[in-house]
Amino acid sequence: MSWFLAALWAEGLKARRSRVIAATGAAFLLFPLVDGLFMIILKDPDQARAMGLISTKARLVAGVADWPSFFQFLLQGTAAGGAILFAFVTTWVFGREFSDHTVKELLAIPTRRATIVAAKLLLTALWAMGLTLVMFLLSLGIGKAVDMPGWSSELARTSLGDVLLTALLTYLLIPMVALFASMGRGYLLPLGWALGSLVMAQIAALLGWGDYFPWAVPALTSGALGPRAEQIGLHSYLSVLLVFIVGTLGTFAWWRSADQSR
Amino acid sequence: MSLAVETVGLSKSYGPVRAVESVSLRVGRGEIYGFIGRNGAGKTTTIRALLGMIRPSAGSVRMLGEAVGPHGRGPWRRVGHLVEEPSAYPELTVRENLEIARRLQGLQGSAATSRAIERLGLGPYADRKAGVLSSGNLKRLGLARALLHGPELLVLDEPANGLDPAGVVEIRELLAGLVREHGVTVFMSSHILTEVDRLASRIGIIHQGSLIEEIEAGKLEELRSPRLEVEARDLEAAQRALAEAGFETIAQGGTLILNQAEAIAAPDRVAAILVNAGSPPTRLAIQQEDLEAHFLRLTGEMA
Repeated sequence: MSWFLAALWAEGLKARRSRVIAATGAAFLLFPLVDGLFMIILKDPDQARAMGLISTKARLVAGVADWPSFFQFLLQGTAAGGAILFAFVTTWVFGREFSDHTVKELLAIPTRRATIVAAKLLLTALWAMGLTLVMFLLSLGIGKAVDMPGWSSELARTSLGDVLLTALLTYLLIPMVALFASMGRGYLLPLGWALGSLVMAQIAALLGWGDYFPWAVPALTSGALGPRAEQIGLHSYLSVLLVFIVGTLGTFAWWRSADQSR
Repeated sequence: MSLAVETVGLSKSYGPVRAVESVSLRVGRGEIYGFIGRNGAGKTTTIRALLGMIRPSAGSVRMLGEAVGPHGRGPWRRVGHLVEEPSAYPELTVRENLEIARRLQGLQGSAATSRAIERLGLGPYADRKAGVLSSGNLKRLGLARALLHGPELLVLDEPANGLDPAGVVEIRELLAGLVREHGVTVFMSSHILTEVDRLASRIGIIHQGSLIEEIEAGKLEELRSPRLEVEARDLEAAQRALAEAGFETIAQGGTLILNQAEAIAAPDRVAAILVNAGSPPTRLAIQQEDLEAHFLRLTGEMA
């Protein structure tokens, strides 16, 4: 077995045994369930009015109970939820080694530190994209069960592409979280960073330069920050890619060079 | 054959604080090197530098002939280590924790895991989660991980800390057996000086970041031997009188030291010689210094 596969196996085992990973999975899979609930409410306006706040919220987000609205809500959920939950998973994957003091068992071993970092980053990528796919498949079942108009396989294909693109853009911002989890040697700094960047993304979008702010790009792509998707262009994707490169290289460099004195 | 551990002028500073200052160590193959010092003396910083966990501010480290650094696989396939308190993934079982270590060591097959579990007496706990282990069993798990790949060199930071008396004896015998039967080199720090005294073939004392003394096994024996200490107003006259009576003396500060068995067996005769020579003793006592007393005296003098 190659060193990389051994490291990936180790990361996979830790993830499989962890409640944290399962909890983030459950939280992410709530989106299609809530989406389906909104559609049920929207299908029957009288019942929606009788339900007060929830029905008001449902109208604000979706409007009509059909497949395009259903997918649009799912897309927005991917952007907003992904930013938090992918960051949470990454924080745990990297930060727990410092919090549990297990990092010292990963340093003076024949498996290179870069291999361990690469395995951790790949695990978070697989987890994020796998979860997105499972969420989408679950949403198809829920949508069918709710029985809405407007279905077409072309719409499903396009929506899958949009959801995966949003998840990918969200994931590309995640290595910065890994870097902060490593530098902060725990959970606080990366989670603070994740929440802070989410708030900054809202502000950047409100100010009208969200397309230049990498952390706003996934939400703008999904439409979660309003009808501004036309601003998104190559420059936006390049800014996200730049964050990915900086975060990834920074994490590798930090694991290779920083003193591990705790 | 290259040395097991070699540092040249190893120094580490954290801002203005000099944690380790110009420590040069040479540990040969098959030695048990005891590394002792008070809390904060620089033991763990030195050990972390040996293991490449921290970058020296100055100096160099070689382990088993290979330079230590963050690049490449280093000598780690041949080195086992336990640094400070052992850690484990709490949600994984003892066996799973060791399986992770085995695969990251590049070992094929799970026989090594089973052997390590058996060797450290972890059989009854193999399928328990590490999070529920006692600190003693967690220490055993850490030692099992260190021994998993049959290393040529073991670097252990406080290996007996947290173990009950039976566990301390067990670890002592285990380490002695590894050295005797497999020629393993052990570099161990400890504050349990009696353990170091019993195990080590050489001892290094670190104090305020500097290596202040290295004691060979022969010197340890010497420390443990009883000696007669004599003080007198005229030390030179006393030394002459004792020499004329056939006693060899060593002057150390204001004290004469007699190591001969005849002197230790008959201190009254020594006293009589000095009285008759007109240089009566002001103090005459049989002393036996062990490593602990030596360590406390040495580090106390330098504090």
